[in-house]
Amino acid sequence: MVQLPWLLLLLPLATAALIHFALGGSGRLAAWTGTASAFGMLGLSVSLLVGATAEASPFVWLETGMFHPDLEQAITLSLKTDRLALSMMLVVTIVGALVHLFSLTYMAEDKARPRYYAGLSLFLFSMTGIVLAGNLFMMFIFWELVGLSSYLLIGHWFTKKSAAEASKKAFLTNRIGDFGFLVGILLIWGAFGTVDFNALERRVDLGNLPLTGGLLTAGILCLFAGAVGKSAQFPLHVWLPDAMEGPTPVSALIHAATMVAAGVYMLVRISFLIALDPTAAMTIAWIGGGTALLAALLATQQDDIKRVLAYSTLSQLGYMVMAVGLLASQAAYFHLFTHAFFKALLFLGAGAVIYCCHHEQNIWKMGGLAKRMPLTFATFAIGTACLIAVPYVTSGFYSKEAILDSAYAASRPLFWIAAFVALLTAFYMTRLVVVAFLGKARSQYARDAVEAPTPMAFALTCLTLLSIVGGFRFFAEAILPRGFYPTFDSPHHNFVMAVSIICLLAGVVASFLLYRGREKDPLHITPLRRGLYIDDLYTGLIRLFQDGAAAVAAAFDRHILNGFFLGGTAALTQAVGSVFRRMQPGSLHFYLVLAALGIMLLIWATSTV
Amino acid sequence: MPIVLILLVFLPLAAAALIGLRAPARATSLGTAIVMVFLVAALNHYFDRESPSMQFASSLTVMENPGIALAFGIDGMSLVMLLLSVLVLFAALWMIDPLADNARLQYAGSLLIAGGAIGAFASTDLFFFFAFHELALIPTFLLIGMCGRGSNARSAAWRITLYLGLGSLILLVGLLALHHALGQPGFSITELHARAMADPIAPETQSWIALLLIIGFGSLVSLVPLHSWAAPAYAAAPTPVAMLHAGVLKKFGLYGLLRVAVPMLPEGMREWAGLLLVLLLLNIIYMGLVTIACKRLDTMFGCSSVMHMGYLFLAVAALSLTGPDNTLAYRGAILLMFAHGVSIALLFALADRIESRTGTLEIARLSGLGRAMPSLGFLFGIAAFASIGLPGLANFAGELLVFLSGFHGFRPSEGLQPLQWATILAVWGVVISAVYMLRAYRTAFMGDPDASRRHDVLTTEEKLPLAALAGALVVVGFFPNLLLQYLPF
Amino acid sequence: MTLEHYLIAAGILFCTGLFGMIVRRNILVIFMCLELILASATLTLVAFSRFRLTSGLPDIDAQMLVFFVITVAAAEVAVGLAIIVSLYRSTQSVHMEDLHTLKG
Repeated sequence: MVQLPWLLLLLPLATAALIHFALGGSGRLAAWTGTASAFGMLGLSVSLLVGATAEASPFVWLETGMFHPDLEQAITLSLKTDRLALSMMLVVTIVGALVHLFSLTYMAEDKARPRYYAGLSLFLFSMTGIVLAGNLFMMFIFWELVGLSSYLLIGHWFTKKSAAEASKKAFLTNRIGDFGFLVGILLIWGAFGTVDFNALERRVDLGNLPLTGGLLTAGILCLFAGAVGKSAQFPLHVWLPDAMEGPTPVSALIHAATMVAAGVYMLVRISFLIALDPTAAMTIAWIGGGTALLAALLATQQDDIKRVLAYSTLSQLGYMVMAVGLLASQAAYFHLFTHAFFKALLFLGAGAVIYCCHHEQNIWKMGGLAKRMPLTFATFAIGTACLIAVPYVTSGFYSKEAILDSAYAASRPLFWIAAFVALLTAFYMTRLVVVAFLGKARSQYARDAVEAPTPMAFALTCLTLLSIVGGFRFFAEAILPRGFYPTFDSPHHNFVMAVSIICLLAGVVASFLLYRGREKDPLHITPLRRGLYIDDLYTGLIRLFQDGAAAVAAAFDRHILNGFFLGGTAALTQAVGSVFRRMQPGSLHFYLVLAALGIMLLIWATSTV
Repeated sequence: MPIVLILLVFLPLAAAALIGLRAPARATSLGTAIVMVFLVAALNHYFDRESPSMQFASSLTVMENPGIALAFGIDGMSLVMLLLSVLVLFAALWMIDPLADNARLQYAGSLLIAGGAIGAFASTDLFFFFAFHELALIPTFLLIGMCGRGSNARSAAWRITLYLGLGSLILLVGLLALHHALGQPGFSITELHARAMADPIAPETQSWIALLLIIGFGSLVSLVPLHSWAAPAYAAAPTPVAMLHAGVLKKFGLYGLLRVAVPMLPEGMREWAGLLLVLLLLNIIYMGLVTIACKRLDTMFGCSSVMHMGYLFLAVAALSLTGPDNTLAYRGAILLMFAHGVSIALLFALADRIESRTGTLEIARLSGLGRAMPSLGFLFGIAAFASIGLPGLANFAGELLVFLSGFHGFRPSEGLQPLQWATILAVWGVVISAVYMLRAYRTAFMGDPDASRRHDVLTTEEKLPLAALAGALVVVGFFPNLLLQYLPF
Repeated sequence: MTLEHYLIAAGILFCTGLFGMIVRRNILVIFMCLELILASATLTLVAFSRFRLTSGLPDIDAQMLVFFVITVAAAEVAVGLAIIVSLYRSTQSVHMEDLHTLKG
């Protein structure tokens, strides 16, 4: 009997292998195979969600040879198919399938389509692994693998310098986070003797904690470092805007809806650990809030349509991380759920615009697209409405309210930061829509744009529907784990809602007045355009510490170790040797004289005894 | 069944002799390698996983007093090393260009190196354990000196000869002192081990013998600061020699530490574990930085192989500090020895192919190879990501186990001990190795290909040995238990 | 004639040989000087044998040794001369200074 969760996990891997090894020559076949497999995964995850047997026996990956009863005897790949995992799976497969569909047109001209679809399938495999992971080891394994697939897909157009650099940067930045993640796993494993989520939760429930105090804080924050890398939180957020060098469907799938949300998903998984330590929780909340604010500020000054969306993703991820830190992981996960749909929608909408404008990404060279691409405009506008949380009719409203509610209850400063971020969100998204879609066309490409082709339009429509209903109780409660849908029954709920609506209106109105009918950006704040110089700072730090240290180490190796010590030893040996060499001139007569002298010495010595 | 093991040791030596007597070189050596693959497969098949003792044992007394015997026998650890040896030997022989001037010399030398390594891994007698390794070193030195690449092949050959010669000398003194201290008439490793268990050596004696062994084995494995031979030698060595030495022969030192030093000198090793921790961190962090500064692919691989030895020393240190029930360290070390052997051999083989196509290994002068030669880019990607420690490839499983072994017996109430701190710092090595590998990959394989060069794609014949090594990395990465099942602990 | 006379004669013989070996460059002469040294050693042996009586008889061991030395010396002369001849054939010289091929 085939176990469905395993089938779900292995189907994309098999697809990736099939495409890479057998279908390398045919782009069309690769595209259809990949898409069929993605829809197959969608079917599987729906059937699992509606009640097919989700049991999956663990696979023993590596036996540790341990005999100790308290320790795990093996590192297993065990699948945890609870409601949390299955609902996340649904999000991943829906977005994954639609992105495949979208790519059929978007990537139709690309020469390396087999590589692209193999990469997408590899990504779906890795992401499924993260979602279904039953322990931290398995999560780490697939954590690294999504890093790989993200590297491959960002660098899809690797002959382009910027894409090559961006993929390298994404992988290395993630590696720094993964360093922390692995150290955290080691600490947890060393202390608890297990990293299985169920077992850990049992231990925590029993209240007998082997890890306390500073080490517990350190352990949690180390695990959090993994999320900081993957979900691109400050200070490791720099890779995500650059990752927009990848094809736009990839940005929609990986760098907006699913992979970057994996960090939040992991935090939700270990929320029972975070709840143990207030210091760690507050740190997480403040990093999340800070990232939300920073990214929203940066988003207001971007000209590239994808970079605006990338910073907005950062900012929304900051919201989620903040909510996890405020011990409202249900709200965080709910926002993850809704955000996945509308952010994928926005990215695919941007993709449609880029596709129709011949790969022009600067919003100041667009304009007036609403008339030429009405469907794309409508879906994009609905996506925007969700993102800026238009009350009652959009999914983003419900999830953002849930986060603001919990922020108000837990920490006032963070609440006001979050409210200000909401205002900024409304501001920069309105700017984007006004500049790109309204007004007059500002370039030839924008004047020639036509409506997106059918597969693209279909994907956009599906996501639009999901973006709207995603926040409604009847839909979300059927999918989310029990108790994850917010109740909105706190006493301060009306106040919070009033604040958020005021922020929304203020942002939209300000932006509309400022940007309507403009030919170029009236605001020009260089620090925000340059990402607050954080990238430059990092480049400097890398050059100073890493490359500098490398140069020093190499010079030390070459000159001190090899030159001084080795060279010194060699020179000393040669000096001693050259002294002794003088005694060996190679003349027989000289040796004879020496021998005669030696004989005399011998006679003299023996005769005096 | 012992005959299988004896054949496995002497077949490559006999084939080398035949090639010396003008037998057709490529046919003879590849035929031998294939037969050896089957012999190892037979060993795998008939290996009794339940039995803790040496299997396929045979012994021929050479000298009565002191009792030296030409004795062979394997346990799980040696079996994995034999597997590694034949795999790398096969690929290395295949990589030799039969039309090169000194092809015959390279075939015979490679077979001798592999024969010596296999003899050392299969020996259960301390004397021959040492002697077979020396037998393998001599052709290594000669081939680097006679068939070496580049202008300073001679000096690199001299350097590796002096370093490893002196290291072996110190090792020999250490082994003889160990034998003397145990007061056993014979040289059988199993008997010496039993003796060391029953009647441990006095701690002070253990201490200085352990130091001798750490220096001796350490210089063979390029423990910083005894590493200066490695990078120039690998850069100068002909490809099969670099593959065989970095991939297989270098593991002898670690194998010796795990087989001889750790079990027989527990007190002595524990005493020096602190020093070992410092040195292995130098291996990982300091050599990692040196690797980042490397400008040529071959030196970079050479330095990176020095760097990765740090993880293996971490396993040794963890074993010394936490005792023999730290099975994670044993398993991690063996798995990582296999994985590193295969991945570094693959990297050197790929460097050889790159040089044959572009005529240079300077990273800055390479560009866009991924577009020009997709399958080379794919294979290089596998090798590079394996050595970065990406899950799904063999090195990750080994590194993970080694890191876990550092946290074996971790008591949070006592805080982080030096071993744990060293492990955490060692984990930083995965970031460092990602930096240099991805930088090289980005420069050499991404971007636009150099239009002035002809880039012929790899032929199937060229792909075969590379694919065999890459396949081994993937298979072991997905199913590490395939190797670990042979280990009793 | 006492033992001293013989020993002094042998000493003069030895010194002549050694001196000749040091100052001469011709390999043939050096070889002859070497024979002189050998002869002085033989003379010493004979002298000691004659003057060191055991139970009224000369020590026969030394005389036996002398015959050995003479035999070996004859063989050595044959081999040595043969080497010198073949050296001369290959280098056209019997001078020490010309024979430096093996010098490092």
